[in-house]
Amino acid sequence: MLETFNSLMMGFSVAFQPEVLMYAFFGCIIGTLVGMMPGLGPLAGISLLLPATFGLNPIIAIVLLAGVYYGAMYGGSTTSILMRIPGEAASVMTCVDGYAMTQQGRAGPALAIAAIGSFFAGTVGVIGLMLMAPTLASFALRFGPPEYTALLLMGLFVLAYMSGGSMLKTLAMAVLGLLLGMIGIDVMSGYTRFSFDIVELGDGVGIVPVAVGLFGISEILLTAGQADPPKVQQPTLRQLVPSKEDLKLSVGPIARGSLLGFMIGIIPGSAHIISSFVSYGIERRLSKHPERFGNGAIEGVAGPESANNAAATGAFVPMLALGIPTGPVTAVMLAAIMVHGILPGPMLIQQQPDLFWGFVASMYVGNVVLLVLNLPMVGLFVNLLRIPYAYLYPCILAFCILGCYSVSNSTMDVWIMLLMGGIGYVLRKFGYDLAPVALGLVLGPMLELSLRQSLAMSGGSYAIFIERPIAVTMLVLGLVLLGLALKPMIFKSKDWRSNVGLDEPID
Amino acid sequence: MADVKEEDLPVSGGLRSDQVSGVVLVVFALVIIWFNREFPVGTLADPGPGYVPLLLACTMAGIGLLVAFLGARTEALSAIRWPEATRALIILTACVAATFALERIGYRLTTAAFLMFFLGVIERKKPLAVVLVSAGFSLGSFYVVGELLKVPLPRGPWGF
Repeated sequence: MLETFNSLMMGFSVAFQPEVLMYAFFGCIIGTLVGMMPGLGPLAGISLLLPATFGLNPIIAIVLLAGVYYGAMYGGSTTSILMRIPGEAASVMTCVDGYAMTQQGRAGPALAIAAIGSFFAGTVGVIGLMLMAPTLASFALRFGPPEYTALLLMGLFVLAYMSGGSMLKTLAMAVLGLLLGMIGIDVMSGYTRFSFDIVELGDGVGIVPVAVGLFGISEILLTAGQADPPKVQQPTLRQLVPSKEDLKLSVGPIARGSLLGFMIGIIPGSAHIISSFVSYGIERRLSKHPERFGNGAIEGVAGPESANNAAATGAFVPMLALGIPTGPVTAVMLAAIMVHGILPGPMLIQQQPDLFWGFVASMYVGNVVLLVLNLPMVGLFVNLLRIPYAYLYPCILAFCILGCYSVSNSTMDVWIMLLMGGIGYVLRKFGYDLAPVALGLVLGPMLELSLRQSLAMSGGSYAIFIERPIAVTMLVLGLVLLGLALKPMIFKSKDWRSNVGLDEPID
Repeated sequence: MADVKEEDLPVSGGLRSDQVSGVVLVVFALVIIWFNREFPVGTLADPGPGYVPLLLACTMAGIGLLVAFLGARTEALSAIRWPEATRALIILTACVAATFALERIGYRLTTAAFLMFFLGVIERKKPLAVVLVSAGFSLGSFYVVGELLKVPLPRGPWGF
């Protein structure tokens, strides 16, 4: 333990040098700007800056990239909170309550809590990375296709049970998202499905145009035609700072979100996306006033933001300890550190402790710099709301078109965004939640692959899901929640939603 | 419906919103099943590319039926108001036109024209403000995204 501490201190002594800190600031600023663009998330930011790091020393390169990474994550939250435009799937839940807070003139506290939550979660993630990387990585390796299928199904069941509206409608939207995820080339057989001879659809439907359309465009379609446009906000300095009550309400969600996010984040694959959805559901369920969720509950920002950030750090555990990239972002980061002679894997900590601890310290420095940089910038970001809505919404529309076009330099993504905007507008009129569509779209290809692999492994027997302890535990948990949600429909009893005046009983 | 309590619902007859949306879900599921017939479903031991879409479409159809059957007490279809629909349609049409123009006349001209339409025609702002905002946004965003972030944004036939 003492040796670990000493190694980490050695890493920090390098990472806190003025030159390194300067690069960290630079990385955070670039990352925040990139993250604010829908379509340009952490992956694009890191990919853009990767060639520029080749000539730098490894620690500086990693600090720079870590700054871009954290900055882009936070930048995505900023547009979610201020404009209801999630730059990526992980920010979808943030825009639900974050934007509601903005409409109430509380964008400042929402942005500040997002920054504080992200910082705390990053800290938990780094401590977890430091203390438990090898152990957790070996546990994560026990996740095969059946466990993965069970985890993804559990995520969907949790979301359905904890959603504020009708469970059936939530499930319908999740299935719609899963079906959207079926578009494109089937990786197991090579068939191109539901692409209608449109070449661009061969790669599937991206999350960015769908999320921007469903959330950003539909919001403008609903708001811009109102007789009374949203009022210009002129928050005072006091209104930018979270109150004691805000901080008190956020402590629990931040702590729970951080732990949950880290545990989900270490699982290989892109399961970390469900962490923000599950965190939101848990916070709503634990709250004494769940009816506040969706209407500007600060816990609805604190929990998912923390979970999202902790999961992002957790994703580095299998990357560093096993040399396995868990998603596109970690794959690019892996390439970046390998360029500098660091070979991640089980022997990294033993053979190159200075590099491992340098990396861990660099990640943390990126996190600290982001907090220091972004808390004062909350006031700057909130100034966007001083722009009259008549000027703001056309610029947001142009921004959405630009962002979606930038994803793959194709107008197909813009068409998808517009289509989703129209569909989202109608669905909201009919009282459907849109977040499950985004979750389903991201999970669809993963769920299909793991389900088909599981069935192939078992020779076509679904019993494989009950023969494996981790899978059966998660499935039972998910089914119990589903059963609890179905109970009022079968026994005509009251559901938790109706007990808190959220909605009609399950229809 | 999230905002409507049961006691507030109108007592009039007619179609309910959930009945309609439930039927739409079923129809959507049937369309998916129709298009999915091109893909082999395979066997349980070796599921084909049509297996999961079929499973999902059947689930969607089942949920749609439940939504429709249990939707008798929800808001009446006629109670859903669409006061902003005309403006929404104009906005979507303008976005469609901008998307068509994007790769034909370039990013900067498209964005400037798009903003001029909204600010000048729809919102009826002062001409100077319209020109300044439109030109400023299109040139500024092109510089940041196209030049600094190196995203290849479309240029028109005049190189602009």
